Amino acid sequence: MARLPRWTLPLFLVLLFQLLFSSGSVLRESDEEEFSEELLLRPLPDRKVLAHFHFESRAPPSLADSYGRHHHLFPKAIAQLVQKFRVKEMELSFTQGRWNYERWGGFDPISSKNAKPPGVELWAVFDVPQNQVDVYWKNLTHSLSGLFCASINFLESSTTYSAPQWSFHPSSGSLRYGTLPREAVCTENLTPWLKLLPCRDKAGLSTLMDRPSIYKGFYHSQRLHLTSGGLESGIILGQTLTVVLQPTSQRASGTSSGANLQPSWSLSSVFGRKVTTRCVLAKSSNVYLQLERGLVTELENLQKENPISGAVFMDSEELRSNPGFELSVKPDWAFKEVNSLHSKGLSVLYEYSMAKYNDSEPFDLTLTWKSPVVWSCPQAPLHASRFLMGSGNERGAIAISLISTGLKENFMGANFVEDRSKLEVDIFQVVPWYIKVYFHTLRVFVDGKPQALADVVEKMRVSPSEDKVSPGVMELLLKFPCDVESATLTLEFDKGFLHIDEYPPDANQGFDIPSAVISFPYFHESVYYLQDNSLNKAPMLSKFQDKSPVRSYTEVLLVPLTTPDFSMPYNVITITCTVFALYFGSLLNVLRRRVGEEERFLKNKAAKRGGRLPQLLSKLYAKLRGKEWESSPSSSVLSSLVNTKLILKLKRITANMKEARGKDVYPEAAEDLNLQVDVIPDVTAPSAGL
Amino acid sequence: MAEISEPPKPPGETHHKFETTSKAQGPDSEFDPKTMRKSKPRLKRLVLTLSVLLSFLLGFPFLWKSVEIYRAPLPFREIDSLSSQTESSLLLFPCHFQAIFVGFESKSSINPEAIESSVLKQMVKLTSNSPQCGTCSANYTVSVVVDSSSGCVQTRNREYLSSWQCGAMGTVDFSDDEGVDEVLVDLLGGKVYSVVVVNLDNEEVRAVVGKHRHAWIVGRVSEAEAVARVAETFVKVFVNGGKEEGFIQGEFMPVGADGRIVLSFNLLNSDPQDWVYDWDFQAIDETLLAPVIEALEPVANISVESQVLYHTPKSSFSYWDDKRESYIFSIKDLPFFVNSNEWHLDTSIAAGGSDNATYIPSARECPLLLQLPNGDISKTNGFISPMWGGITVWNPKGCLKDSESQDPLKRTISRKDLQKVFEVVMGQLRQLFGLKSDHMYIGASGTSSLLPSERGFTEWELDVLSRQHTCFNLRSCSTTLGSLSRLVQSLPRMIILDEIGKQVTYSLEAANLAQSNASVGLHDASAVSSRQARSLAEDAFFHPSIMSVSYYSFEHCFAVYSLSVVFELICLVGNG
Repeated sequence: MARLPRWTLPLFLVLLFQLLFSSGSVLRESDEEEFSEELLLRPLPDRKVLAHFHFESRAPPSLADSYGRHHHLFPKAIAQLVQKFRVKEMELSFTQGRWNYERWGGFDPISSKNAKPPGVELWAVFDVPQNQVDVYWKNLTHSLSGLFCASINFLESSTTYSAPQWSFHPSSGSLRYGTLPREAVCTENLTPWLKLLPCRDKAGLSTLMDRPSIYKGFYHSQRLHLTSGGLESGIILGQTLTVVLQPTSQRASGTSSGANLQPSWSLSSVFGRKVTTRCVLAKSSNVYLQLERGLVTELENLQKENPISGAVFMDSEELRSNPGFELSVKPDWAFKEVNSLHSKGLSVLYEYSMAKYNDSEPFDLTLTWKSPVVWSCPQAPLHASRFLMGSGNERGAIAISLISTGLKENFMGANFVEDRSKLEVDIFQVVPWYIKVYFHTLRVFVDGKPQALADVVEKMRVSPSEDKVSPGVMELLLKFPCDVESATLTLEFDKGFLHIDEYPPDANQGFDIPSAVISFPYFHESVYYLQDNSLNKAPMLSKFQDKSPVRSYTEVLLVPLTTPDFSMPYNVITITCTVFALYFGSLLNVLRRRVGEEERFLKNKAAKRGGRLPQLLSKLYAKLRGKEWESSPSSSVLSSLVNTKLILKLKRITANMKEARGKDVYPEAAEDLNLQVDVIPDVTAPSAGL
Repeated sequence: MAEISEPPKPPGETHHKFETTSKAQGPDSEFDPKTMRKSKPRLKRLVLTLSVLLSFLLGFPFLWKSVEIYRAPLPFREIDSLSSQTESSLLLFPCHFQAIFVGFESKSSINPEAIESSVLKQMVKLTSNSPQCGTCSANYTVSVVVDSSSGCVQTRNREYLSSWQCGAMGTVDFSDDEGVDEVLVDLLGGKVYSVVVVNLDNEEVRAVVGKHRHAWIVGRVSEAEAVARVAETFVKVFVNGGKEEGFIQGEFMPVGADGRIVLSFNLLNSDPQDWVYDWDFQAIDETLLAPVIEALEPVANISVESQVLYHTPKSSFSYWDDKRESYIFSIKDLPFFVNSNEWHLDTSIAAGGSDNATYIPSARECPLLLQLPNGDISKTNGFISPMWGGITVWNPKGCLKDSESQDPLKRTISRKDLQKVFEVVMGQLRQLFGLKSDHMYIGASGTSSLLPSERGFTEWELDVLSRQHTCFNLRSCSTTLGSLSRLVQSLPRMIILDEIGKQVTYSLEAANLAQSNASVGLHDASAVSSRQARSLAEDAFFHPSIMSVSYYSFEHCFAVYSLSVVFELICLVGNG
């Protein structure tokens, strides 16, 4: 347990280490296929635990190039995929839940690389001429769809994918990017993913992946990242699974501090399993426990209150004596972060090698908190969120709001730009074609005040959507003053209409707008750990050192569109049929009925029948009305006859009048009509009593 | 409407009418003689009726057109004729044989024509009554050369005969089979199936079938015996490929629709905790597999891939046998050997292919031996599963495991062991192709040894395969097209795109071409066009659009348009 030098290391040492790392990556290339498995555990401020599995398979360049027909560790399916579709780089992620940037951090390699938008995200860079990229992309989506039992093949349609030029990944045109925000992720996607590991989930760290426990977590992201460097570096396949789990609170003995105490957890309580054996094929098989900067600072403060000296928890003595927490297993190694910019509170990493554990002595790490600790995670300079404005089914607006996280000193320090007075932000936003965004309505508000676009927008690329052909893409490079408190972008849109066939099932739920990608090009999330043997360093830690910009995803938006009544075609058919039926029916009527004759016949019948029932009915009716009943069936018939006759007469008169007076003297005719109508009650008066 | 249009009657009249109707009580009183129509309905009504009828008749085609679906015309009759053709008349190739009799000078009576007719007679006898598809048609041509010291005598039909140098066999050493083979290739050219009978005194009769298209019989043979053996070699070996009667017919090898085969080799380490083995696949591929692949080029386009899998236990148990000091897996459990749950052999991108798995048992069950039904132990320690592939069990030497070390031994299978394993695999491959793997033909008239080729398949075997392949392709093409036509005919509301129609037509054309090529005897051309026919037929059958049966089914149509009918009926009934 080497006690490592403190943070007072001069800058040149850091640079020296960087040099060593880079030379190490050259040295480690070998002709053998390699596999390694790692698990990172990290307590989160909101009483949850982050577990990050990282599996890496490497195929040497000779395999990728000349003789790619035998694989002893590298998955054959992936190697064939890379060869067939000439994939230079590809990332596929299946995610459930949303990464909580405020609580779980937004400025570290895990949140930046492994926090993914919900559903499926796929991007790939191809090593083919520009005009063939689309064809290769389409074929790739179909292959992946079959390989991972997911509907990735929906990304084949040109309305679902886009080609970002510079804001997402610097790859000059051969990149395609697509997301399926509504894809449900479950075990059927995990099983094929595990199949790519040489030990699957039969041995090694992947045995911890108990399906019920990892799927009941708050966040679940399964990722596959592959880079194929051709002759130089072979194929590197990184598979990560990031889960955020809520440990069931193990009540420790001293629960005096009550609710403030973080829940203690162990591997078996979080996953329901222990690590029994390592995957024998793995070159390295390690479990790491990471304490973040904020947590370390808090623990150091705690330490200072206590009389015992030593604040860095680097050796076993310090670990045992520290007042904050207790570990059940002594770590094999402890690494301290190397950072020339931060003075204190550097994160600490404990390493456990799985080589010495077996069935009889399984590995089960327990973290017991001794005193309440409250800390916060490192944040990205701006916290991004996106929401909809407006109401109704016609139009609306998308707003992206960026709010400063207030960690000025943090990013002032981390910023390596010469021009320190500016904060640069990349925004990449894809909008489906049925959300017709008017890009000219883009407005930017900085600290609540509207700004001229030219002042803020450094670089901009917009490709408007084309109906049923391509989505709208917006790439923006914004430059804000460094002391910006909040910034908001708004874009107005009209909601389009889809053809009835284009609606998905359950169209009333609304339509998802994929997450926008916000990245900070001059902020790098790399974390260096001081390792004693840099040649034999762990793949996960070397991934942590990759200098890539901090990136975060916004929420998925749900836009309700006007949905048609899906039974409409049927209704139209019904109405048409009714009209037809009426037409034919009346035609038939006209043809075969002689009304005058029928009426006479009916009257005749009625007169003949005139029996007891109608009489009784009319008697009853009269009684109900409280009048005397006149037993004259003939008169009733007569009066009704008079009535009809009168009406007919009336009609004839009006018709005559119209003919006689012409159209221009219509009001008079109407007067006459009134007169006639007035006459009617008089005539019908005798029979009114009926 | 009708009431309004009717001319009103004067009130007095109505009174009168009422009175009259009330007065009249007879049955003929139903008609009012005043308002009753006196003349018969004439042209007006006819015109009205006809106009209604006509409007309906005019509307009907529109209705019909609106519910019509697009169906590309398919050549049903041609499909039927093709399937009836492939069922009734088998695909038979014309074959030519040549027999050369050397050293029969003692019998001066020897006459090529007589020998020819007797060979033909024997061949007809040997040919089974029901000829199998992909064999030779009954009209063989056999030409005979009699090479004696007095000179060569030949039969008349020389068109297929290769030039034979008289007395060329005099200096050949028959103990060296390979050498003889080479000499015969030089002499005969290797195009026509030929058997050379060399009558040598004081030698045992040996029959050898070479790597090319010829065989030789050496030893003291009588003429009759020679004729019998020659005929048998022609029919049983060259035509039928040395297979026994009743051998399972049909193609064993799952050839993909495009004629591609992917041979996927898998090394299964059932428990990597005990030991981990790898193999040098590149070396195997270059030395052992490449020649085979090259040889099989005319039959199928073969590609190879290999992977090592771990944690792949078999799914059934073996038992310990004290006498043999090994674990025995009996044949009745063989169906449960392959554990498709754990063996992810995925030949995902490949369309058709065979999996060859080499299973390394774990330390708990090592050595693992397969037991034959008669109680013996299988020599190859492997088995095949037709249309799927083969399994070989390879036991690590000594079955020793270093119990102390945590790390398992990572070893590579030695070259010698690998050679053995791949010999078995090659045998399995031959079996998958329907050929024998013991290099021996035991016929009625004697045993002949089959000279193995270093390429795995001899030329005459490849001929047999190619003929069978053509036949299989044509059959599968005709059955596919037949099912397609049945399907299309049974679902009248299925949409058929033009593309499918085109594919069907092209497939039929290719099938016809294959048949005509076969009848002329062009092996390769007919194999190519038969493959094309099959792949086109499969493409048509599995066209993505074929699943789109119109949702507008007849029932639906009825449900929608019955509304109209019902309304009209209601109107009629209500008015009537």
